[in-house]
Amino acid sequence: MSTTLLEEVPPPRLTPVEGVKEGLQRRWARPGGRAYAVLRWSGATVFAVIVLGLVVSLLASASQAFGHSGLSFLWSGTYNATKDVYPTGIYIIGTLVTTAVAIIVAVPIGVGTAAFLSELAPTWLAAPLSVLIDLIAAVPSIVVGLWGLLVLSPAFAHHVEPFLKKIPVLEWFFHGLAYGPSMLLAGTVLAVMILPTIVALSRTALSSVATEDREAARALGATRWQVVRTAVIPSARTGIEAAVILAMGRALGETIAVALVIGNNNALPHSLLAPGATLGSAIINNFGEANPGLDKSSIIGLVVVLLAITALVNVGGQLLLRRRLRGQGAVT
Amino acid sequence: MSRRPLRRVSTVMVSLAAVALVAAACSSTPTAKKKADKTAASSTTTSTAPAPTTTAAPAPSTTAPAAAHTATTTPAKPTSTACSTSGGPLSATCDTQSPSFKLAGAGANSIQPFFTRVFYYYNQADKGVSVNYSPAGSSVGVTDIEQNTVNFGDSEIPIKTPASGTGGNILQVPVDLGGVALSYNLPGVGGGLKLDGPTLAGIYLGKITTWNNAAIAALNPGTNLPSTTIVPVRRADSSGPGYDLDQYLIDTGGSQWTGSVAGSAASTKWPITNIGIGEQLNTGVAGFIQQTAGAIGYVEYAYSLQAGFTNAALKNAAGSFVKPSQSAIAAAGAQASTLSASNFNIVNGPGAATYPLANFSWTLIYQKQSNTTQGIVAGKLFDWVTTTGQQQAAALGYSPLPANVVSLAHRTLLTLENSAGKALFTS
Repeated sequence: MSTTLLEEVPPPRLTPVEGVKEGLQRRWARPGGRAYAVLRWSGATVFAVIVLGLVVSLLASASQAFGHSGLSFLWSGTYNATKDVYPTGIYIIGTLVTTAVAIIVAVPIGVGTAAFLSELAPTWLAAPLSVLIDLIAAVPSIVVGLWGLLVLSPAFAHHVEPFLKKIPVLEWFFHGLAYGPSMLLAGTVLAVMILPTIVALSRTALSSVATEDREAARALGATRWQVVRTAVIPSARTGIEAAVILAMGRALGETIAVALVIGNNNALPHSLLAPGATLGSAIINNFGEANPGLDKSSIIGLVVVLLAITALVNVGGQLLLRRRLRGQGAVT
Repeated sequence: MSRRPLRRVSTVMVSLAAVALVAAACSSTPTAKKKADKTAASSTTTSTAPAPTTTAAPAPSTTAPAAAHTATTTPAKPTSTACSTSGGPLSATCDTQSPSFKLAGAGANSIQPFFTRVFYYYNQADKGVSVNYSPAGSSVGVTDIEQNTVNFGDSEIPIKTPASGTGGNILQVPVDLGGVALSYNLPGVGGGLKLDGPTLAGIYLGKITTWNNAAIAALNPGTNLPSTTIVPVRRADSSGPGYDLDQYLIDTGGSQWTGSVAGSAASTKWPITNIGIGEQLNTGVAGFIQQTAGAIGYVEYAYSLQAGFTNAALKNAAGSFVKPSQSAIAAAGAQASTLSASNFNIVNGPGAATYPLANFSWTLIYQKQSNTTQGIVAGKLFDWVTTTGQQQAAALGYSPLPANVVSLAHRTLLTLENSAGKALFTS
C-alpha cells in the first residue's frame, strides 16, 4: 500500500560533483595522485594475496589427510598415530546444530531489540542500551565461554534443562540427562555472542526505512505494533537477512567459547541436551598437541572443511540477498 | 572546488607517513629485540587459560626492572663477581647474585600451582629474575620447546629420548612429584570410595552407568550408594593426568580397556572420546565435578585438594586401596630408584602404601643455550626449584622430590652449555 504512494514521487537524481571528473583525468599527472593510486592498488593486491595464500597453504597442509581418506574425510574423518578418529561428520552436524540453535534463539530477540531501539524506545533509553549491546560484542570469546561454563552451565543443569524436558512436544528435542554442557548450552552461548551483530545491523536497516512508509501505515489506522510488523520490518527485510548471515558466519567459526561449554563428546548427539563437538571446538582441542604428519594434517583438514562451510554460507547468503535486491529493483 | 585543498593535505600526509615509516624502520633496529621480548611475554600471559586461584602466593611479578632488558641485549657477561667463571658452581650460594633475566615458559597445567608459588618466592629472593609460565598443557610445552619458541617447557610425560628440537639436544629435568586424583561429587557419600581398574574402565567405557552398580557395591560393602547416574569427565585436550590414568587402566583394567580403541600404549590424548564430558584443563574438569552431582573425573591432586573434593581410594599393585595424599604420592616416588627420562613410569608401582597414579613433572630445556645469561639464570633457577623450592610442594598437594631424583636433576643441569659448547657451570 505504502509502496504505491512512493512510486509517484520521482527519486532524486544525483548530480556529479564538480571537479571530480577533471581530477580523475589528472591523477597520473600529479605525484601525490600516483602515490595514492599505488597505495590503493597495493592494498587490494595484499588482500587478494593473503586470502589466496591462506587457502593454498591450508590445502597443501591438509592434502595428506585428504589423500589418506579421500572424500570419506567428510564424514568419518581420519586416523591419527594413536588410533584416534576425528569424526568430521559428527563435527559438521554439531557445527550446524549449534549454529541453528544460536540463530533460533538470537534472531527473535535481536530483531525485537532492534525494533524496540529504533521504533519505540525514547532516546534517553535507546542510546545507553545500544552502547551496552555493543559492549557485548567487545567481550572476548574466552570470557563469554567462561561465563557460560561457570554461570550458565549450572543454571541450565538445575533449572532450564529439567524445565524443557517437561514440555510435551519439545520433549523430542530435549531428552536424556541434563548436566549443563550440551549442544543447547553451546547454541545459547553463541546466541549471546552473535546478538550484538544482529541488533546493530538490523537497527540500521530498520532506521533507514523511509518515514513516509511509517506515516502511511499510521494514516491507515495501524497501531504502533502493526506499523512495525506490516510496514517497517518488511521493508528492512534484506538488511535483517544480511545481519543474520553475518551472525551465522561468526557462530559457525567460534572455537574456544564452544569448546568450554559443549562437553566435547565425539558421539552423534541424540538430543539437544547431549554433549557434542563442533569443527571449531575439535580444532582447538586437538591442534595444540597434534603429532606432526597425518594427525596435524587431519586437523588442518577440519579447518578446510570449516572454511568451506563458512564461505558457502557467506557467498550463498550474499547471492540470495543480491537476487532479492534485484527483484525489489524490478518492482519499484 | 572545495575538494582540492583537502586532497593536497591528504597527499602531504601520506608522504609524511611514508617518511616516518622509513625513519622508524631505520631507527628501530636496536630496540627490535626489546619489542620482541615484550610481545613474547605478553602473548604468554594472555594465553593463560582458565587460571585457578592459587590461595597463598600471588602471581609472579611480570614487571622486570629496566636492567633486565639491557642484560638481554648485551649478553655473555654475567654481572656476578662471586660466580666469576662462566656460571660458577651450580649451587644455592650464587642464587641471589645471578644476572637479571625474564624467562618465558609453557607447558603442563598440572604443575601450575607449584610453579606459580616457587617462581614467586624465587623472584622475592632475586628481583632480577622473573618467569612467565603459560599453563597451556604438557603437549603445548613439548611443541613449544621443540620449536624453540619458549626458554623452557614442562611436560608431565618426558619426550621420547633422545629428545631434540630445532635448538639441538633437549635436557629433561624432573622438577616435581604429583599425583592424579579420581574426584567425585556424590552427595551423601564421603571420600575414600573404593575403585579398581576394571570398575574405572567400565565407567569410562560407559558400561557402568549408575553409582549403585553391582561392581561398585561389591568393592564398597556397607556404603549406601545412591542410584545417581555416573557422569564420567575427561580432559578434552591432551594431558599428563590422562596419560597416568590410561596407563593404570592398561595395567589393571583388563582386556575391555586394551581391547577397545585404547590400545596397549598409554596416550596423553584420552582414548575414549564418545563417552561422558570432555573439559579443558584441570580447571575445567574440576569445575564440572564441582557443579555436577554424579560426576567423576581425573584431576591433578593439587587441584582436587584446593577444591576440597572427595577422592576415590584406588587399588594399587599390592592389592590395598589407597587415597591420594602427600605421603602416598611420596611412597610412589620413592619407588623410582632408577628414574630417567626414558624410564619415567611410576604408575601402579609396588608397595602397600603407594598411590597408583603418580608422576614426575619434567622441565624441558635446550642443552646448548645460545644466550649465556639465559642459560645461567635458568640453570640456577631450576636447581633452586629442585632443592630449596621443594619446601613449597607439600602445602600445595605435591610431594618433595626423593634425594636420588634431586641428584638426577642436578646432574642434568650441570650439562648445560653455552653456544660454544662450553659447560656453563662447575660442579
